[in-house]
Amino acid sequence: MSVEGADTAIARGLACCHVCLKLSPRASHACGLCGAALHVRLPDSRQRTVALTITAALLYIPANVLPIMTTVQLGNAIDSTILGGILLLIHHGSYPVAAVIFIASVIVPIAKLLALAWLSWSISGGQGTAHRQRTRLYRVTELIGKWSMTDVFVVAVLVALIHLGGLLVIRPGPAAVAFASMVIVTMLAAESFDPRLIWDQEEKRHG
Amino acid sequence: MREIQETACLECDLVIEVEVLETGQRARCPRCGFLLTGQDGEAMNRGLAFALAAAALLVMANSFPFLELHSSGFEKVMTIPQAGLELYEGGRTVLAGMVLGPIVFVPALMLVAMIALLVQLRRGVRAAWLVPTGRLLFALNPWSMVEVFIIGVLVSLVKIGAMATVVIGTSFWAYIAFVLCFIVAVGSLDRFRVWREIEACQA
Repeated sequence: MSVEGADTAIARGLACCHVCLKLSPRASHACGLCGAALHVRLPDSRQRTVALTITAALLYIPANVLPIMTTVQLGNAIDSTILGGILLLIHHGSYPVAAVIFIASVIVPIAKLLALAWLSWSISGGQGTAHRQRTRLYRVTELIGKWSMTDVFVVAVLVALIHLGGLLVIRPGPAAVAFASMVIVTMLAAESFDPRLIWDQEEKRHG
Repeated sequence: MREIQETACLECDLVIEVEVLETGQRARCPRCGFLLTGQDGEAMNRGLAFALAAAALLVMANSFPFLELHSSGFEKVMTIPQAGLELYEGGRTVLAGMVLGPIVFVPALMLVAMIALLVQLRRGVRAAWLVPTGRLLFALNPWSMVEVFIIGVLVSLVKIGAMATVVIGTSFWAYIAFVLCFIVAVGSLDRFRVWREIEACQA
């Protein structure tokens, strides 16, 4: 790491377009090449990330409490939640599939919410440490987000495929929408987080 | 490629001078390790070839039976559009969009944008739609979830396997082949290089 301040775009009075990577003077409002709105840093990055992370955490409650699907077998309706589905798979001995759903629907969303909350907290004031590691954590958070959609796709396939007259029908439950919304909101939260704010702390440290 | 090009790291804002790279070389940010660009002479052609293949396979995947269910005299054939249509007919319009969007509409739009863009860049003729098409392509990219859908389908197969006999249809294989081609096509999209090509084309 350099001892003096690093040669950043912001220090040179430039802004880098997040769409086409072209450097423009910091005062310009739009990128000269692609026309995207130009920001030195994403606007209100921390506030937006925190707000979207809280929204996602709230959506995670109905996603787990309400049924994700209803199985109607010979007139009997049985609701099942995400956790109930995982327990049923364990009961049937399908451990690998239970593990896939548990990772995609429980571990990934919770890890993502914690990571976003911690990253947002870590860029509030101070000089911060572990800039590289925090940037890496942000990258992983961005990468794993969409894998949580697995269970929503499972419900869509089961609903479309299992329709055997009056014998057996599967209907989607309200948790499916809540869960899919949660995934989308966490992805938006990750997109609104600006990792350059982590490195601005590195600048403060030397400057 | 032209001489040295200056840009800034998208993740840490460090100004980086990207030199002319040799085939197989990659440019990473020296401060945070962000992968900026790579030199791969055939990337554009490979991207176009796989995008064309993926487009044909996606049309196939949506035209034939995906899975068939046989149980106690009943039979049910499911196509990919039905994964969303059955939800829509059941009154879950939003959920239907959240399912079909990332597995059919987003990848389809991305393929159209990518094919148009890469063909135009090969011709090297400026066009007013080049920039909006490039922006659309990179904006859609995070919202494609085709590989996640495959995992969802495999999990569904295990879940149903206990209840009934499932026959795998033509579309199933077409969709798997589509996903493989789509991943290669999108993988050869290099944000930095594509936009420098667009810039050279518009100049």
